[in-house]
Amino acid sequence: MKQYFIYLILATGVSFNHLSAQDLSATEIVKKADEKFNGEKSSYSLMSMTIIRPGWQRTIDFKSWTFGRDFALTLITAPAKEAGQSFLKRGPEMWNWNPSINRLIKLPPSMMSQGWMGSDYTNDDILKESSVVNDYIHEMAGEENIDGRVCYKISMTAKENASIVWGKQIRWIDKKEFLVLKAELYDEDGYLVRTETGSDIKVMDGRTVTSKIKLIPEEEPQNLTYIEIREIKFNIPVEESYFSQQNMKRVR
Amino acid sequence: MKEEFKIAWRNLWRNRRRTIITAASVFFAVFFAVVMRSYQLGSYDHMINNFIESFTGYLQVQHVNYQDNPLIDNSFGYNDSIVSAISKIDRVVSVTPHLESFTLASSGTQTKGAAVIAIDPIKERAFSDPESKLVKYRITDEAVMRLQDADALPDEIIEKLKKNLGRSYSSSARVELELGLTSEDNELCMPDILKYSEVSNEFLADDDDGILVSDKLASYLKVTVGDSVILMGQGYHGISATGIFPVRGILKMPSPEIDNKLIIMTIPAAQKFYDAKGKITSLVVNLTDKSNRTIKTAKDRINSLLTDKNTITKTWYELNPILYQQIQGDSQSGMAMLAILYFIIFFGIFGTVLMMVSERKKEFGILVAIGMQKKKLKRIVSIEMLFLGAIGLVCGLLAGTPVILYFYYYPIVLKGDMANMMEDFGWDAVMPTAWFGPYFYWQAGIVAIMVVLATIYPLRKIGRLKEIEALKS
Repeated sequence: MKQYFIYLILATGVSFNHLSAQDLSATEIVKKADEKFNGEKSSYSLMSMTIIRPGWQRTIDFKSWTFGRDFALTLITAPAKEAGQSFLKRGPEMWNWNPSINRLIKLPPSMMSQGWMGSDYTNDDILKESSVVNDYIHEMAGEENIDGRVCYKISMTAKENASIVWGKQIRWIDKKEFLVLKAELYDEDGYLVRTETGSDIKVMDGRTVTSKIKLIPEEEPQNLTYIEIREIKFNIPVEESYFSQQNMKRVR
Repeated sequence: MKEEFKIAWRNLWRNRRRTIITAASVFFAVFFAVVMRSYQLGSYDHMINNFIESFTGYLQVQHVNYQDNPLIDNSFGYNDSIVSAISKIDRVVSVTPHLESFTLASSGTQTKGAAVIAIDPIKERAFSDPESKLVKYRITDEAVMRLQDADALPDEIIEKLKKNLGRSYSSSARVELELGLTSEDNELCMPDILKYSEVSNEFLADDDDGILVSDKLASYLKVTVGDSVILMGQGYHGISATGIFPVRGILKMPSPEIDNKLIIMTIPAAQKFYDAKGKITSLVVNLTDKSNRTIKTAKDRINSLLTDKNTITKTWYELNPILYQQIQGDSQSGMAMLAILYFIIFFGIFGTVLMMVSERKKEFGILVAIGMQKKKLKRIVSIEMLFLGAIGLVCGLLAGTPVILYFYYYPIVLKGDMANMMEDFGWDAVMPTAWFGPYFYWQAGIVAIMVVLATIYPLRKIGRLKEIEALKS
């Protein structure tokens, strides 16, 4: 709580580069929003993911470190039965360390479309997150209001040779703060597969971010996964060597 | 009327041979139909009972959604009191809890999908009895080498052993059968073969944290007793289920499909593994028989005992509709066979009636000519047919009864591969007849109807009788 106040105080002092819309291309907007959330260089975050299913729900707490676009390390901290599991992403590959069976497992391509920790997020979502800038052709599709905030509506079509599961995305990015407030993800046949929304805008580590991201799969609307960011730090001092298989077993 | 009966009776015995031939055709019809149907029903029933009793059980208590969506999420809370309450219901033979799910099984670099069935080691004895399927003997390279070194066996038997290399058996009788030794060789060699091929295997203790692995899965994973297998899967409410389990024993399952993927553990170990405290996916109930009445009453009574609204009792035909339809289909084809038999039989009866009518044409003509009413004549002939039918029917049923009884108590014993397979499953390789049931009266009824149909012909013939023509013939 104390920290939070410090961030608040800091945040009020930070003057953001107010760039006018005319100066930015659609690609730049997407890139900016992406960097804002993931940090230009690196980030550390403390999150909790709640999986809601008809009849039950459960929450998983985890810590996550990222470095550039290619490296990420995630450690599950709760519930107790799953605590200590870690996931490492290096480029296009992903590993899972499971202390209860003492095993390091490389997730095969066949598991990429499966839910991560039983959520609506797939393993692929976690791996390919960063390609929103490079793998799509971005086009400005106008301006719209989301929750009273003016947003760029950007339509993103997948590049032909890009290896991504989505055919098309539409993103609503807040004009002032470059926050992704809403995203609709379509498959290659143009059918809406899921909707993601960002809400609970807070200032964390000097940046205004959406602290709650909700994912609703279109075909099972009673299913829901949301991630809440408890703490986030940007551009932390971390090196590539931190994202190693050895560290997966050590990290706390 | 009494007079007519008297005349009919006398008419019958005026031409004894004709009467006996006609009655015999009815007799054989009834006899064959009854025995054939009894045999059909009995042997088929026996196989179905065997199958149901060792796979699905007659009834299963499940979560309402489990059948459509067999996930561990669709499990239900369970305690011993419900088991003992169900056990007390009339005609319940056994109640067995199961917790079933699929996981990945892994050892070293080998990984394979496995069906994990969690059991109560003691209660399960009354159902699928996995203990009897533990591998007791295995013909390994090492065993054959040591047998060769011991020099106790003739070369041809060593050759036979080499042909069966890598096979495992759950009893010495199976080893004997597979090797196909002569009885002399048997006495001489079996003790040595068994001694060297014996494998140590344990069954699960009550609260064991180990597992039993089916033979083919174990050889794929390259594990034996004492090794560990890693299981990875999804537990209750999406939690990740992972654990290391020591292998206590290897099971030889008769069905290759099951042998490829079965892992058995205790219910407490599985509940911990899946994080499903106090939950099971099914209670398997076996009954004394599968008659509709037994199943329905047991089902209703179990349903009334269930306090959890999300649980329901399902019958074996609800659980396995494909099997049920197959049974129905097979029963229909049995009926079709019977229909063909009836068809032949009908023309047998009809033929003798036809013969009778043409033989007695002159007699009928004279009777009508001297003033007998056609109506009365028709009645007499009908009564004759009735007598004939009744004699044939009663004799047929009487003759069929001891045959059915005999094969019910001393059924035909199957031999060969089919018998081996059935014994592997723990079933009796026999084909009994069915006990007397509705089918018995039905066959009698159908033959009686055929007699009535055959009576129409002489009646019509009498109706159209021209006295002059009849007298001339």
